Amino acid sequence: MTEILRAAGLHAGYGTGDILKGVDAELGRGRIVTIIGPNGSGKSTLIKTLAGLLPARQGEIELEGKRLNDLSPPKRVRAGIAYVPQEYNVFRNLTVLENLKIAREFMGAGRSQERVLDDEVAGLFPELSEHHKTQAGNLSGGQRQMLAFACALTVRPKVLMLDEPSAGLSPKYMGDVFDKVRRVNAMGVSILLVEQNAREALRISHTCIVLAGGRVRAVAPANEVLGMKDLNSLYLGDATLH
Amino acid sequence: MTSYLVLLGILVCFSAILALALNFQWGLGGMVNFGLTGFYALGAYASALFMLKGGANSFFAVVGAMAVVAAVCGLVAFITLRVTEEDYFAIVTLGVGEMLRLVALNEDWLTKGALGLTGVPRPFGDRIAPEYYQYFLLALAIALLLATLWFLNAVARSPFGRLMRAVREDDVVAATLGKNVLWVRVRIFAIGGGIIGLAGSMHGFYYQYIDPTQFSNIVLAYGFMAVIAGGRGAHGGAIFGAAAVMALLEGSRFLKDLVPALDSDQLAAIRIIIIGVGLIALLIYRPQGFLREYRLKVSP
Amino acid sequence: MLQTTFNGIITGVIMTLPALAVTLLFGVLKFPNFAVGAMMTVAAYMAFALNAQLGWPLLPATAAAAVAMGVLCIGIDQVTFKPLRERGGITLMVASLGLGFILENIARFAYGNSARSFAIELARPFRFADVRMNQEQMITLGVSTAAMVAMWLLLTRSPMGRAMRAVADNPSLALVRGIESPRVIRWTWFIAGMLLAVGGVLIGMDRALEPPMGSNYLISVFAAAILGGLGSPLGAFVGALVIGVVSELSTLVVPPNYRIGVPLCAIAVILIFRPQGLFGSPYIRK
Repeated sequence: MTEILRAAGLHAGYGTGDILKGVDAELGRGRIVTIIGPNGSGKSTLIKTLAGLLPARQGEIELEGKRLNDLSPPKRVRAGIAYVPQEYNVFRNLTVLENLKIAREFMGAGRSQERVLDDEVAGLFPELSEHHKTQAGNLSGGQRQMLAFACALTVRPKVLMLDEPSAGLSPKYMGDVFDKVRRVNAMGVSILLVEQNAREALRISHTCIVLAGGRVRAVAPANEVLGMKDLNSLYLGDATLH
Repeated sequence: MTSYLVLLGILVCFSAILALALNFQWGLGGMVNFGLTGFYALGAYASALFMLKGGANSFFAVVGAMAVVAAVCGLVAFITLRVTEEDYFAIVTLGVGEMLRLVALNEDWLTKGALGLTGVPRPFGDRIAPEYYQYFLLALAIALLLATLWFLNAVARSPFGRLMRAVREDDVVAATLGKNVLWVRVRIFAIGGGIIGLAGSMHGFYYQYIDPTQFSNIVLAYGFMAVIAGGRGAHGGAIFGAAAVMALLEGSRFLKDLVPALDSDQLAAIRIIIIGVGLIALLIYRPQGFLREYRLKVSP
Repeated sequence: MLQTTFNGIITGVIMTLPALAVTLLFGVLKFPNFAVGAMMTVAAYMAFALNAQLGWPLLPATAAAAVAMGVLCIGIDQVTFKPLRERGGITLMVASLGLGFILENIARFAYGNSARSFAIELARPFRFADVRMNQEQMITLGVSTAAMVAMWLLLTRSPMGRAMRAVADNPSLALVRGIESPRVIRWTWFIAGMLLAVGGVLIGMDRALEPPMGSNYLISVFAAAILGGLGSPLGAFVGALVIGVVSELSTLVVPPNYRIGVPLCAIAVILIFRPQGLFGSPYIRK
């Protein structure tokens, strides 16, 4: 099976009315897929539904062929799908070390495995090791994003979903984030990315999914989309791409 | 038996008025009044004192009591303008209610403290023969209940009513539209307060004596049960709720005859346990109380 | 004055455990639980049953009552609060009010209204620097300190303690970090139940055992938790001591019957001007 995560005919919303109106999406194993679209198109809603924070009113979600719909968020995390929300993505009242610890404490990983993961994460995020005892709430925005990212990685998920990881970051941090995304992908993690900074994200992605008005408008290789001068026509459902 | 039913009827009437006040402040105004008991006591004491110490007749005593409670409620709403969380507002009002009860218990010079006030006069008490008085009181109670209903409906339908609903649904939006949200809140709470004052006055007319033990937190439970049992916002519901609650409670008085083995303390305890269980059961099984808590769009 | 301050410290210390229970419950369950007073009462009576009626020494009686209360609280949550979990703070508060009535009156039904006391050997009070202290107060200081230390270790060193703090900080993030909320909720109730049981016994030692014993402290305990910041364990500790001392000292200037006025005003003032108290942080509801 080439796709590791699959959503079919997904409907979801917050009140009456659906925001996702029948979304089909696939994440290829070992790939980086970026979802782009205008504000309000349902990008965050899609990720939240995949993570289990929002119930899917219709449709199927499958991880490696296994149906996720009835699993609570913690069970989905244990199944191997990790999520980094856009905001409020660290525990502000806990220290950096505690944030990292707690991310894997309830995952059932053995002690020895924990140390291996610790080293991997420390290697990827050297900037965090000096701040172990700092309260997460006292970190800078960029550092918090890094911490959130690191926490999601601590148990080597199969799939990592990132909701606008570069939002509000300085250009330096932004480059850093995308660099880390690539390196994590190289370690074997399949990545689903939602991004406003479309161009930066597409540069490291394999595939691009265009979401607008709660529906998928187009699916194309990332470099093709990158080559387009005007992304807006994509949003309006101009499906001349594929 | 008739006598018993008449008295029960009066009780239902002013309990319903109390429930209507709570419903107005909470269901329509979005302000949870956990100090209900204290304001109710304030109304009862104020009305009794206006008559006993001030020599006023019952009409002016009632009006006075309503004004007093309305003013205090308005003041509370004004001071707590910054408390935007529902929970916190409830705790603050609980505190205020407790303070009022404390004053009633301790300021002997005014309220006779734990002894309470006796010999509270009734409207036209000396003009109507004692055998018929209860029927008169029932008629009066019903009349006041209907008047309150009519008044609250009028308010709900008025422009002020629309303003209230707008503020309740989203006060940020209402504020940006230039409406003075604080002033709306103060008025809602004050109007509700006035009605609580009315109910308190009637409490005095019914029992003819007032003491602090009549105002325990059970009153708060009654009020909430009546409002929740009656269903959302609709005023008629509060009345049904009050009737249902009173029937439950008065009915439990007959327990004494069924189980002679228990002493009066134990029976009193069981009655309160029944109230508590009833309240929780109502909350769990009758969720149509306040849709606002589901954060859905509410149509008035 | 020194005596009053000492009495205030004791009162404050008695309140630290219930205040901590209140703040933990608020942090994890997101609503103020008004039944905690009655829970203390029931637990105290359970200890009484073991101690005065069955002849157990007070320490094992308290320990057994603590475990029993912890388990009872889990059960109560399943039956009463779990069905109402999605309904919002007000519903939960009203339910907790009703629960308080039920629990207090179960105690009243079983033991009546007259005051009881634990069976402990009498010991002579002693003086230390002009301050009169008795054995019960010493026990209170010792037990509370031990309990607070145990709680501090639990919250900072154990995974469950971290999980409780995480859920209090950000419930939905906790979910996506693999923390199962039902499990955390059960543990929180168990720990709160134990804290309330010990608190109840301490109150029973300090005053007497009667049905309203716990509810009498409800307002002060909440004032302590609110002053410290709802959700902050350190805050509960500090808040309890402050409220205890200030309440006692206030009797020097204000008529003793109005002693409860201090916590009441504290609650109103704090919620109006600084709702997060001393150490709390504005929390995230969802």
